[in-house]
Amino acid sequence: MGFRLLIADDSAAMRQVIRRVIELSGFEVDEFLEAADGDDALRLLRSEPIDVILTDINMPNINGEQLLCSMQQEDLLRAKPVIVVSTDATEHRIHRMLALGAKGYITKPFYPEALRQELERVLGVENE
Amino acid sequence: MSDPLETQALSLATRDVLETMFFIEVLSETDEPPQGSPGTLEARLRFAGERSGEFRIWLTAEAARSIATNFLGLDDENAIRDSQVGEVAAELANIICGSALSRLSCDRAFDLSHPEVGPPADDARTWSDAASRTFDLGNGWLTTILRFEHA
Repeated sequence: MGFRLLIADDSAAMRQVIRRVIELSGFEVDEFLEAADGDDALRLLRSEPIDVILTDINMPNINGEQLLCSMQQEDLLRAKPVIVVSTDATEHRIHRMLALGAKGYITKPFYPEALRQELERVLGVENE
Repeated sequence: MSDPLETQALSLATRDVLETMFFIEVLSETDEPPQGSPGTLEARLRFAGERSGEFRIWLTAEAARSIATNFLGLDDENAIRDSQVGEVAAELANIICGSALSRLSCDRAFDLSHPEVGPPADDARTWSDAASRTFDLGNGWLTTILRFEHA
C-alpha cells in the first residue's frame, strides 16, 4: 500500500525534484499532490485525504511556520505528520519547527535514502 | 579581504550541494576574482539573521543548462525551457546559501529572500571584500559569492 503525499514548495523545480527523489528512493507513493504555498497546502489538506506533508519554510502568502500553526488549530489536521524540508540546518530553526508541530526535519542538500528514512520514521513503516 | 572561514564554508557547501542534489562533480576550484560576462546567468538573494548580507551565483550558459537538466532528471538538454533553467538557478542559489550559512552559524536561524534571476548586475570590482569561489564543472563555470554586511 502506498501513501498520498503533499509537497508544499513555491519552487516548481524543487517540487519536481522531491517527487523524483522519492520515486528513486523506492518509497511507495500512490499519489503526489503539490502546493505552491501554505495557503494552497491548507486548501488541499481540508479537501483531500493526505497521509504526510513535506513542506518548505520560505513560501509566499502562508509560509511553513504559519502552515504548521494553522494545522495545529484544526482538529482534523493536527495529527497529520509534517516533515520540513529546508536549507536551514541551524539548531534554532529545527527546534522551532519541531516545537510548532513538525514530526520530521530534513535539510537540503539531501540524498534520496535520507528522505526515504525520514518518511519511514515519521510514518512508522518499513516501506519495502 | 574575505574571512578564510567564510571562504571555506562557501567551498564545502557548493561542492556538497552540486554532488548531492545536482549529480555534478567539480573538476577544479579557484579563488580568482569572479567575473560576470555576457551570457552569464546570475541568481541573487539576501539573507537576514544574526548577520545579514547577500549571496550570488554566476553561471555560464552551458553550465546553467547542464545543471538544470541534471537537477530535473531530464534526458535531453535541448528540451529544457529557459524558465526551467532560471528556476533551477534560483534553487541552486537558495540551497548553497542556506548550506553555507548553516556551516557558519549553527545556533541562530536565518531567513532567505526569494532569489532573483537575471544577467549579472555589478562590476566584479565591487566584490573584492566578499568570499568567492569559482568552480570548473567541465562544461562551464559556476561562481559563488557570499558577502556579509558589517554592523
